[in-house]
Amino acid sequence: MEVKEFEIWWKIPFKHSAGLHATKFFEGLKDGKILGVRCERCGRVLVPPRAFCERCHVETNDWVEVSDEGVVETLTVTYMKFTGLPDPPYAIGVVKLDGADTGMLCFLGGVDLSEWRKVHETFKPGTRVKAVWKEEREGKITDILYFEPLK
Amino acid sequence: MRIGIVGVGFTEFGIHKEPFYNIAFTAAKRALEDAGIERGEVDSFILGGYDNLGVGRTISNMYTAPAAGAYLRHEIRVSDDALFALPLACMRLRHRSDVTMLLAFGHSSETPIELVELQSLDPFFHRPLNLSLPAFFAMQSYAYRRRYGVDEEKIAEVVVKERENGSENPRAFVRDKVRVEDVLSSEIVSSPLRRLEIAEWCDGCVAFILAEETVARRLTDSPVWVSGLGWSLENYYFDREFQKLPFVAKSAEMAFKMAGKDRGDVEALEICDLTADYHCMILEALGFAEEGRGWDYNGDVNHSGGALCTNAYGSTGAFLLASIVERIRKGEIDCGLVQSMSGYAQRSCVAILEG
Amino acid sequence: MSVAVVGFGQTHFRTKRKDKTHPEIAFEAVNAALEHAGLELKDIEAVAYGSMDPFDGIYCPERWDATACSLEKPMMKISTGGTTGMTTALAAYEHVASGLFDLVMAVCVQRVGECVDAQPVLNTAVDPIYERHSGLGAIHIASFQATAYMEKYGATEEDLAWVSVKDHKNALKNPYAHIKMDLGVDDVLKSRVVCSPLKLLECCPRSDGAAAVIFASEDLAKKIRDNPAWIVAETTISDSYYLGDRLSFAEWDSLAIAGRRLFRDAGIENPVKDIDVAELYSPFTIQEILELEALGFAEKGRGKELAREGVTFIDGDMPTNPSGGVLCTNPIGATGLVRFGEAALQVMGEAVNQVDGAEVALAHAWGGTLQFHTLAVLSSKKKLG
Repeated sequence: MEVKEFEIWWKIPFKHSAGLHATKFFEGLKDGKILGVRCERCGRVLVPPRAFCERCHVETNDWVEVSDEGVVETLTVTYMKFTGLPDPPYAIGVVKLDGADTGMLCFLGGVDLSEWRKVHETFKPGTRVKAVWKEEREGKITDILYFEPLK
Repeated sequence: MRIGIVGVGFTEFGIHKEPFYNIAFTAAKRALEDAGIERGEVDSFILGGYDNLGVGRTISNMYTAPAAGAYLRHEIRVSDDALFALPLACMRLRHRSDVTMLLAFGHSSETPIELVELQSLDPFFHRPLNLSLPAFFAMQSYAYRRRYGVDEEKIAEVVVKERENGSENPRAFVRDKVRVEDVLSSEIVSSPLRRLEIAEWCDGCVAFILAEETVARRLTDSPVWVSGLGWSLENYYFDREFQKLPFVAKSAEMAFKMAGKDRGDVEALEICDLTADYHCMILEALGFAEEGRGWDYNGDVNHSGGALCTNAYGSTGAFLLASIVERIRKGEIDCGLVQSMSGYAQRSCVAILEG
Repeated sequence: MSVAVVGFGQTHFRTKRKDKTHPEIAFEAVNAALEHAGLELKDIEAVAYGSMDPFDGIYCPERWDATACSLEKPMMKISTGGTTGMTTALAAYEHVASGLFDLVMAVCVQRVGECVDAQPVLNTAVDPIYERHSGLGAIHIASFQATAYMEKYGATEEDLAWVSVKDHKNALKNPYAHIKMDLGVDDVLKSRVVCSPLKLLECCPRSDGAAAVIFASEDLAKKIRDNPAWIVAETTISDSYYLGDRLSFAEWDSLAIAGRRLFRDAGIENPVKDIDVAELYSPFTIQEILELEALGFAEKGRGKELAREGVTFIDGDMPTNPSGGVLCTNPIGATGLVRFGEAALQVMGEAVNQVDGAEVALAHAWGGTLQFHTLAVLSSKKKLG
């Protein structure tokens, strides 16, 4: 007897409140600025900004602008298609921006992604990169299209 | 060995614009402040609240653990209404913790909770029939009213009384009083249940600091002791009498046994009345009212306004717990019982507290 | 109070267990554990149940699965991401360690095969405000670790591939394991790149299945069996949330901190000498290497050599994942409980790939975006040393 299978989708809408901190960050993106918060206790500049420092467990309100240039900490290029995720190949990485103490997750681009070894050579940890911004910015994380190697 | 509650931190219960982890952070800070201790003095963190779908994040403790202050600490989440996490916190304290934080987070305003809860049903037999939470609650209400011949006025009076209590509780989410005719003229959500007879969802967090007895006595002169705990569940399939809640009775038996107390010792109750009918049925199951007469109970129940006035998805039980704890601390009562319920009225947890 | 494992049961793991519903799979594991302990379900006083809900397309599956394991009993639902299986074990353990119960079962069920693709589910764990758009899943995070580690310590693709060869070799003999392939290093290296630098045969499968572990208080444990597995020490650790906050992707410092605490509690001074076998949560080759280093089984930068040199093979000095590990079987929310159960079997002397004379075993799971770890030391002796 063939076992029956039913295809069932979860279609559940969510409206996620970004809260005041992230909202301020997104407003900054609209103006082409990347904002972080400095924890007054440990002094670290946290990017992306959040309402409290997880290490010190204190509120954070000291806003600072950080650079849109930074250093690659690590990366990967995806070659397999996963349902609902971006079409391959796409490269993501963690970049520590100048003036920030934490890394930020972002896309890497501006280069041919077909050969992963070449991409890893171009963006290897320690490589300096710079943000490439969208022309028409909407106040979303994707206003930064990707980071590319600093020429 | 006794386990004492030595700190409580409430946030506002309402519809929040900040993400749930920022609300949770506020509750945690307030609880630490209330207990007069630093985050570093807490060795274990037990979180209570629902997973993924309620807030659209698959592993919600990824966000709430740092908010609680669990950075580089022991942390485990009980994925249920947060009162169900109290047993794990107490077990941890009995076993090896000095000071534990129990953080309860509740959030409902980001997504339709009825749709979320529907996904807990199996995809073959129950879910395709769209048995929503209110529809199931209504089936129990119908059975209850029919079996015991309870008039809808009697049920409406329960709502009126709950709303009165809620109107006097500055922490309650719903604080408007209503009259019997308001209840009876409110729209029918799922027959026979009317809108004002069903708890409305909101957001809010509460955190508790708990300590082992000797530590608790150093932290405060007036710890509130967790004397008894009980939890139980009902079958998923419907081999039950719809007008009764035997799993609530079982959870109460376990808690009374552990506390070594009987019903006469309990001065006040906080119960999870997700509907006005459940208010009656829970009182009956807990053994405080005769079968079919829960609506007639005139003891000290839901001074806070109960779930009917404050129902944050995931932290309702913790809200009720905190309400009893506050009254014991104020000296209004010496011993109280709190009950919570989750799922399609399938699971119940009871705690007995004393000063 | 001393607590021991007196029974472990698991289902056969497959991509899809089409033959059974969710509670029927739970039932299979529960019965296997009861049979192993020589007990009946009525003997069990309470249940800790774990699952990582969204993979199965059922929210709060404990409600349906209660029919298989917990009617008439207190049940507690645990869910903490990848660590779920291990934290469920610890929750069950706390039931007994607290003195409130004498016989408690941990049950974990997961049907990753029920969701058409697992990575988008993992992506929903990622913050929708700042990070989710990136298409990040578990495999991307592991690839971040691989990129950083290879750059910093000069590890080669071959070094990583050896971990896969070792796990697959072990899984061949484990009747419950999901993926059974006789692999050589070249097979791994030739498999397609999924997320650079990790290749398909360096990544875990999606598995359906369940596991159950029974915990007993001291006197009862001795009555139930003459070779119980004692829980000597346990710990969990929770790091900050954002991925970018990690100090380094080339080391796993939160695991190092947790390991240090665990070994201190267990009385372990030299893990290489004092621990006979480890079941590590390493769904991706690179992670076993980082875990071995963080836990002190290898110096920093030396973990890459252990599989290649045979040290972690079953007849080596420090066998890891004799069951075939997570790389060959990954029912996510149940995986941690399988690690715990397999570690127990090793010190009971009953494992399929038994490490000769194993007396002390380590079980581990990680979860979140490299955020959580849960660890336990099990032994045939109540206390070490």
